[in-house]
Amino acid sequence: MTHTLSPRTVVVLLLPLAALLALFFLWPLGLVGWSSIHDQGYTLRGYEQVLGSSLIRRVLVNTLQISVQATIFSLLLGYAIALHLASMSPARRAPYLVMVMLPFWTSILVKSYAFTVVLGDSGIVNQLLGWISGGTWHLEMMFNRIGVVVGMTNYLLPFMVLPIMASLLNQNRSLYLAAEIMGAGPLRIFLRITLPLSLPGVYAGILMSMTLSMGMYITPAVLGGRRDMMLANLIDFYTRQTLDWNLSSAIAILLLLMSGLLLWALGRIQRDGRAPA
Amino acid sequence: MKKHDLQHHSHATGVRSGTRQDGGVTRRTVLKAAAAAAGAGVAGWAPFVRAQSRTLTVTCWGGAYETAVRKAFAEPFAKEKGVGVTLVNSADLTRMKVQVQSKNVSWDVFDSIGPQIMAGSREGLWEDFDASRIDGKELVLPPGKDHVSTYFYAGGIGFDPKRFPEGKHPTTFKEFWDVARFPGRRGLRSRPNENLEMALLADGVSPDALYPLDIERAFKSLDRIKDDVRKWIETTPETVTLLATNELDFTYTYLSRVLPAQRGGQSVQMSMTQTLNSFEYLAVPKHGRNTELAMEYVAFCLRPDRQAAFCEMVEFAPNVTAALESLSAEARQRIPDMKDPNSIIIDDAWWGEHYEALQRRFTEWMLL
Repeated sequence: MTHTLSPRTVVVLLLPLAALLALFFLWPLGLVGWSSIHDQGYTLRGYEQVLGSSLIRRVLVNTLQISVQATIFSLLLGYAIALHLASMSPARRAPYLVMVMLPFWTSILVKSYAFTVVLGDSGIVNQLLGWISGGTWHLEMMFNRIGVVVGMTNYLLPFMVLPIMASLLNQNRSLYLAAEIMGAGPLRIFLRITLPLSLPGVYAGILMSMTLSMGMYITPAVLGGRRDMMLANLIDFYTRQTLDWNLSSAIAILLLLMSGLLLWALGRIQRDGRAPA
Repeated sequence: MKKHDLQHHSHATGVRSGTRQDGGVTRRTVLKAAAAAAGAGVAGWAPFVRAQSRTLTVTCWGGAYETAVRKAFAEPFAKEKGVGVTLVNSADLTRMKVQVQSKNVSWDVFDSIGPQIMAGSREGLWEDFDASRIDGKELVLPPGKDHVSTYFYAGGIGFDPKRFPEGKHPTTFKEFWDVARFPGRRGLRSRPNENLEMALLADGVSPDALYPLDIERAFKSLDRIKDDVRKWIETTPETVTLLATNELDFTYTYLSRVLPAQRGGQSVQMSMTQTLNSFEYLAVPKHGRNTELAMEYVAFCLRPDRQAAFCEMVEFAPNVTAALESLSAEARQRIPDMKDPNSIIIDDAWWGEHYEALQRRFTEWMLL
C-alpha cells in the first residue's frame, strides 16, 4: 500500500524544513561566504593568505592526516563492534548499544579531559602496565599524535558502529545459509558476502567520521602536542582573537570545500561499486 | 510604564546576575533605541537615554570573579546611582564586534584582557574616554585613549612544593630554562605573549630593557627549551590541574589560580621571585545605550576604596596605587612589589601592534 502525494502536498510538507534550513544553515553559510570575499570592500586577501601561507598549508596537511588516521582506527574498531552487535539477539544487543551510545551522549570536552586521566604519565594505562610488569612505565600517550587519535577515535566510534551495524542487520540471512550449503567457510562468507553488502554502511561511516574529524577542535587542543593543530583551531583563533573574519571565513570555506570534495568522491566510489552488479 | 518601573525597581534592589547574553532584540529594545535616536536631536543624547533605561550591563567572567565584581563594583554602584547593574557572563569580543557593527549594543561595559581590548581598539569598537574623569589618580598603568586598566594579575612558575621543595624548583625564568639544573616536565602557554618575555628574561635581557621585544633573540631562546616543554597549554585551568595530576612538574601559571587551588587542598605554589603582570581592562563600546552611565561606572571602579574592596576578595592587584594602603596585610603580602625590577609589566600596547603577526610566527614555530 503506497500513498502517492500530490506535488502540492509534497511542497507544503517540505516547506517548514526548507525554511528552517534556509534560515539557520544557508543564510549563515552565505554570510561566511560573503565575509570571505568582503572586508570593507571586496577583497581576495583572505584566499590569498589561505593559498600563500605555509602555516595554513601545514595545518591543512595535519588536519587531513589526523582525520584519516582517526577514521581508519574507528573503522577497524567500529567494524568489529558492529559485527559482534549484529550477531546478537535484539534483547542482548540493547545494553551493548547503550554502551556504544553512552560516549555519544557525553560532552566532548568532558571526554577529552577524561582521557588525560587514562593516558597520562601517571594515568590508568601506565599504572596498569606498571602493576603487571612490576616496574614503572612512562609511555607517552598524551600531548602527542597518539592522544589526539585515541581521543578522536573514541568520539567517532558511534558514528561508525551505527551505520555499519544497520547495513549488517539488513543483510538477507538466507544468503549465508546458501553459501554454507555450497561449502563456503566463515572467512569466505565474510569476504564475499558480509563485507561487500555492508559497504554502504562503511561509506556512510567513513563520510561522517571524516567530515566530523576535519572540524575537530577540542580534542587536539586538550590531548595534542604542539604539532597537532587543526584547521578549526585556526578558524577559532582568527575569529575570536584577532577578529580577522575575512581570513577565518576563507579558511572555513576551504574546510567546507574539502568536505564537499570528500562527499563527492565517496559518492563516486559508491556508484562505481554498484555499477557492475 | 508601570511594567518598566517594576523592572527597574527589581534591578535597583538586587544586581541581576546570570548568563543572559545578548539580551536579545526584543520589541521593547528596538522601540527604545528608535525612540532614543529620535530623541537625540531634540533632547540631547545622554540625559534622555539615562532617563529611558536605568540599567547598566557589564560583561563578566563568572565564578568567584563575578561575586567579587558584584560586591565591590556593581552593587555599590547600583546603590549610589540608583540604577541596576546586570552582569553578563561568557561575553566575548566576537559578539561585541557584531553588536557594535549592527549598532545594537546590549553590553555597556566590556571587561577583558589586554589582547582582546587591544584588538577591539584596533577595530575602533571603543568609545574614547574623557581623560579628566580618571585623571589625577596614581595608576600603575596609565589609561589608554579608549580603555583603562582596573587591576592586574601575576603569572609565574608553578610547582608542587611536596615534589620539589626549596632549591629543587626554578624560581626565575632563567632557571626555568635551565633544564640541566632543574630537570622536569615543563608546561608553557600555546601563545606568543608572556612566552617571548620569559624567553628574553631567560636569555639574560634586563627587565627594564625588555620592550620593544627582540623577537629574533626571543625565538632563539625559545628554541632551547622547545623540546623540554611537554605541553603547550591551551586553557588556563590546566596550568594547575596538570600539576595536580602529576603530568607536569613546572608550569607557567597565575597566582589567581594557584591560591584558590591551595585553599582547595592542592599542594601547589607559585614562585614570586619573578612575575609577569598582565592587566585587565574596561572599555565602553561605541553606539551604547548608556554611554554616559558606563563612563561613570568605569570611573567608579577606579576609586581607591572600590579597588581595595575588589582586591581583598580576589587574588588580583589594584591598578590604583592608593588602594594598596587600605588593603589588609594578608592581601598586601600576595601582591607583587611593583618597585622590584623583577615584577615585569606586560606591555599590551606593544602586543596590540604585533600580536597577530607574532601569533602566526609562533604557531608556525610550534609546528616545526
